[in-house]
Amino acid sequence: MDVITSLGLGFAVALTLQNICYCFIGVLLGTVIGVLPGIGPVTTVAMLLPISFTLQPESALILLAGIYYGAQYGGSTTAILVNIPGEASSVVTTIDGHQMALKGRAGPALGIAALASFFAGCVSTLLIAFAAPPLAAVALQFGPAEYFSLMVCGLIAAVVLARGSLVKAIAMVVLGLLLGLVGTDVNSGARRFNFGMTGLADGIEFVALSMAIYGIAEVVCNLEKKLATSVVSDAVGRVWPSLADLRHCAGSILRGTGLGAVLGVLPGGGALLASFAAYTFEKNVARPPREFGHGDIRGVAAPEAANNAGAQTSFIPMLTLGIPGNPTMAMMIGALMIHGIAPGPRVMTDRPALFWGLIASMWLGNLMLVILNLPMVGVWVRLLRVPYRLLYPAIIVFCCIGVYIINSKPFDAFVMAFFAVFGYVALKLDCEPAPLILGFVLGPMMEENLRRALLISRGDPMVFLQEPISLAFLLVAAGLLLLLAAPVIRTKREEALKE
Amino acid sequence: MKIRAPKDFWSGVMFCGFAAVAIAAARGYSLGSAGKMGPGYFPLLLGFVLAALGAVLIARSVVVDDEPLPRFYVLPLVIIAAAVCLFGLLIEPLGLVVSLAVLTVLSAWVGPQFRLLETVVLAAVLIVFSIGVFVYVLGLPLTIWPSL
Repeated sequence: MDVITSLGLGFAVALTLQNICYCFIGVLLGTVIGVLPGIGPVTTVAMLLPISFTLQPESALILLAGIYYGAQYGGSTTAILVNIPGEASSVVTTIDGHQMALKGRAGPALGIAALASFFAGCVSTLLIAFAAPPLAAVALQFGPAEYFSLMVCGLIAAVVLARGSLVKAIAMVVLGLLLGLVGTDVNSGARRFNFGMTGLADGIEFVALSMAIYGIAEVVCNLEKKLATSVVSDAVGRVWPSLADLRHCAGSILRGTGLGAVLGVLPGGGALLASFAAYTFEKNVARPPREFGHGDIRGVAAPEAANNAGAQTSFIPMLTLGIPGNPTMAMMIGALMIHGIAPGPRVMTDRPALFWGLIASMWLGNLMLVILNLPMVGVWVRLLRVPYRLLYPAIIVFCCIGVYIINSKPFDAFVMAFFAVFGYVALKLDCEPAPLILGFVLGPMMEENLRRALLISRGDPMVFLQEPISLAFLLVAAGLLLLLAAPVIRTKREEALKE
Repeated sequence: MKIRAPKDFWSGVMFCGFAAVAIAAARGYSLGSAGKMGPGYFPLLLGFVLAALGAVLIARSVVVDDEPLPRFYVLPLVIIAAAVCLFGLLIEPLGLVVSLAVLTVLSAWVGPQFRLLETVVLAAVLIVFSIGVFVYVLGLPLTIWPSL
């Protein structure tokens, strides 16, 4: 089998001493920031982007990926023991997980969370290995018109699945696309939107933008909230769940994995959506359901399996199509571009070591995470004693050093400060920053494909509707928009009727 | 006309502002035609779309009810943004030690529970850690001390 040989190559890459180290650092960091509330994988990946510049591309991606799925393990620890989600994707784990902890079953809750995550991680690693090559083969046939429509569809879908106002989210996408165009136009060499600043000749630095929003603006927002740092340091006890526990939640783990894997692939999906959907789904199908909310082990197993599966399968569209589904994936694309690798279906054929090495490292990383999380859980809990007032200056310091080392350009610090202010205002106005980041990454590619498609069709915009695949993508995008607009119209009408 | 959804209103204003800048700047670039897009074509298109979306938000803000604006904590935001800029100004002439010390103290100072001694220790730890990782482990050419 071709996949087996490729996986063999992947393991050869992932099992070099250097890459084992980076994988370990990644999952370790992921666990740590997963445990700590107030700092998440997006922020951490953004902070490590500049460092990844100094590494081999394989090592860089292995490190960054480890942070993302490692955080899914760490997040559950805080959720179960302290009733605070360490990560947004472990919010639902607090419901039953903390109840279990209060009933003295913290150990099995942690154990099942780690084992469910591990199982989901293994399954989704295999899924990526088998699903990605055919998908990339299809994507290789796409012309510019198809690509443009695919990006439109991906961006719309990401917006539709995100929370908050649809209009604001689309506006953020468009603004992101515009910001992505700042700098020298590759086609004509014209300098755009630099407002006379030489620092903007190469465009807005992606690292500066993402650290400004997910690092600095988020710190300022967190300073306003009171982040609890109190710790319930109860003895965790035996972490291995009993055989009865395992049998009880085997179905939940399977369902969580399946649902998470599917939702992860969707644009706008990923760990967060997967965990919420899995918990809701489990609550509806599990028998007897009344245990839910009172420390049902299935209420821990399903979302924990789902968030890890979702975290990993969200790599599929990023790796095969070059389309990021969530901000973390946008940063992975940023990491590829820093190394001069054009994201898209060619990554797999042109850089098999990178692609398969990353996949193999995911399996390895999951194995490390189980070992890191089960026997060493006490160590991570102690991390919660680190107060946020010590943590946030560190975040700011690493953002500043990071933004400087990427180009050795002090100007990028000013760019970061500007977008930190913008990011804060946007967050306050309920404008989600994720669509902006996705738009920013796709901006130049979208313009290029639009230009090529229209060049081929001699300026006829109907080309997007005449190519069947392109038409299909646009129809899906339109359908999604209608789907979301419909209930809004309905509630509006009801409101009007009431008056 | 009363603004009933201030968050929508102000986001609309913000998007329209960005759109206005984009359109104004993009008019200076050659537009080309659809079949042969110039550097101004796509930005201008996006500018108009953004302006339209901003207008929708402004229009909606007088129709739909929403919660009032949240409080903006201007001081921490301004101090931290200024600290980041200051880092950019200081890093090359004064090096890592001084610029990180200033950055850490300023950032910690705006927090809710500022303790001087703790912050000094934190700054020292962050400086040592950063020099260790970035200069020695990663071998990046960063200035450590002020070059006189």
